[in-house]
Amino acid sequence: MSDHKAEHIILLDHFSIGYQKESILLSQLHLTVNRGEMIALIGKNGAGKSTLLKSMIGLVAPLEGVCLLAGIPFEEYSLRERARRVSFVSSQITQLPSLTVEELVGLGRIPYTDWMGRLTAGDHKKIYKAIEEVQMGAFAGRKLENLSDGEKQRAMIARAFVQDTTLMVLDEPTAFLDVPSTFELVRLLSRFKESGRSIVYSTHDLETAIQFADKMWVIHKGRILEGAPEDLGLSGLYNELFSDSGIKYDEQVGRFLSSVAERGFVAVTGEREDLLVWTRKTAERLGYMIKEGADLKIRVESSTAGVSWILQDRKGSTRFKNLYTLARFLIQK
Amino acid sequence: MKVRTRSILIIYLLGLLLIALFLLDIRLGSISITLTDMADHLLGRSRLSDQQLVILTKFRLPRVATALMAGAALPVCGLQMQTIFRNPLAGPYVLGISSGASFGAALVVLGAGATGLVATWSLAVAAWVGAGTVMLLLLFVSYRIKDVMTILILGIMFSSGLAAIISIMQYFSQASALKSFVIWSMGSLGNVTGSQLNIMVWTVLPLLVLTLGFSKVLNGMMLGEEYAVTMGVRIQRTRLIIFAATSILAGTITAFCGPIGFIGIAVPHIARFLIRRSDHMELIPASMLTGMVVMVFSDMISRLPGTERILPINAVTSLIGIPVVIWLVVMNRKAQSL
Repeated sequence: MSDHKAEHIILLDHFSIGYQKESILLSQLHLTVNRGEMIALIGKNGAGKSTLLKSMIGLVAPLEGVCLLAGIPFEEYSLRERARRVSFVSSQITQLPSLTVEELVGLGRIPYTDWMGRLTAGDHKKIYKAIEEVQMGAFAGRKLENLSDGEKQRAMIARAFVQDTTLMVLDEPTAFLDVPSTFELVRLLSRFKESGRSIVYSTHDLETAIQFADKMWVIHKGRILEGAPEDLGLSGLYNELFSDSGIKYDEQVGRFLSSVAERGFVAVTGEREDLLVWTRKTAERLGYMIKEGADLKIRVESSTAGVSWILQDRKGSTRFKNLYTLARFLIQK
Repeated sequence: MKVRTRSILIIYLLGLLLIALFLLDIRLGSISITLTDMADHLLGRSRLSDQQLVILTKFRLPRVATALMAGAALPVCGLQMQTIFRNPLAGPYVLGISSGASFGAALVVLGAGATGLVATWSLAVAAWVGAGTVMLLLLFVSYRIKDVMTILILGIMFSSGLAAIISIMQYFSQASALKSFVIWSMGSLGNVTGSQLNIMVWTVLPLLVLTLGFSKVLNGMMLGEEYAVTMGVRIQRTRLIIFAATSILAGTITAFCGPIGFIGIAVPHIARFLIRRSDHMELIPASMLTGMVVMVFSDMISRLPGTERILPINAVTSLIGIPVVIWLVVMNRKAQSL
């Protein structure tokens, strides 16, 4: 058990957060961050995600309780010692100064440089390595204002990486990113685990979190539920999370699906797997459940002449040239 | 590291340009004193006439020295404010710090009729207190309101309010005091007395060195407070020291030279443009040198070579600074950040 304890990078005990005593956001938290794991913090806007992360790393004072960093109370570290153990990335990527990527990442060495802030050869090596690590090698000399949101966020992450900390805390790093960039970014973060770092990040994106996180902290109804993504799935939490919004977590597909319009069952048949996948997606989007032997049938035919979809019900059949016209027909049905 | 050589080169070039302008500036005037005359005098080969010597040591050199100090101090104030407030348009003039200093000075010039050394010190202290008060107000507000535009607007409101009070004071003051205040408010590098120059040297120089020592911390503040803290910067202490330094720097220069506009806001941007780097360890010296070059140049322009007239220095620096600020605002729309 004592061995297990030493694994804790962060241990929160009787931890309560909020900005005033009267308005406690979350109280009596018991949470742990272990070495080399990635934790996704999930919760609605205003649930206290940012406040929790900021209270954990000393940016906001907790209302009560202790936060142990590697077994020692957080307050006992000097600012510089903290900066060598915990790094932070915020969601804010607007209003950045006009720095090159290299200059920005170089700032991450501040806790290690002399009073003049001079970077040694070793520092430069680490800076280049961090830039490579986030795949920004070609952008090292580029100014931040000329980068896309995803690139900016990656540069900010390289800055935190170069700070050489055992814990990286990121507040909604994917807030302004599109779906592929979000996926890329989270995958990038999960790679940092290899060097023994722990990562805690908050996000709205449950799907990617379930795929990559070792552990999730889900804020739900004023409490935090802790566990592996699958543990929480088994408990039925994900469906409960969205019970009032008409969204369902499909355990088979690993995706959130809209459960608004349930139009009945449809059977999809055909030869080519890719055609089947996309045809099923179309049907699901429209609110159909896929079921073999259903009365409503879609048959996908592909030949040298091209692809066509044949929709068949009790009344007869109709042929479509693409999924769009098929979908339009189904909606009007 | 390779990029750094550019900064060093630019700093050298600015230094050379400054020396050239300095020599040109002390040569300039109705009484001709050539550089060879001066060199000969220094080497003991021949002597300057007493009249020439008085003009050189009592008028020209103090004025150039004042220009150099104002040129070094004001951009540093502007740069610090731009970094701390993370706003490219911040500067002692825009934020109302110069107005605070002016108000202090107005109290001394228009109100009390102190003379001599007492007047010199009370002018300086009043300007420091005035600038410091505005600074404290800004500090207080910036704790509550994080929006940078709000702080700029507040600064503009502070300076307008103080200008209104000053104009009321002018309305009720004696004609002679009014005249000296109006002349002061136009800004002048040539009216600085020996004891004023002394105070200026002993306050400005140490503070400039201190600021350079804060380069690393200022670098850490560039991304905002949260990042600064997580990189180990003690922001409360830093803010307080930087704000005090800015108040005293801007206060001193304003007290003795009058309000000098647009040097504080524009020069750091010229320096950034020249060295293309944001490291304060390079940016601060580059801003100081650029500021000194611009001030000495402005001084030469203000004296309208070939005539006996002297333009108010504030007008000259404004005409140089305003295009830079306009360029900045227009560019800023494209670049979003600076």
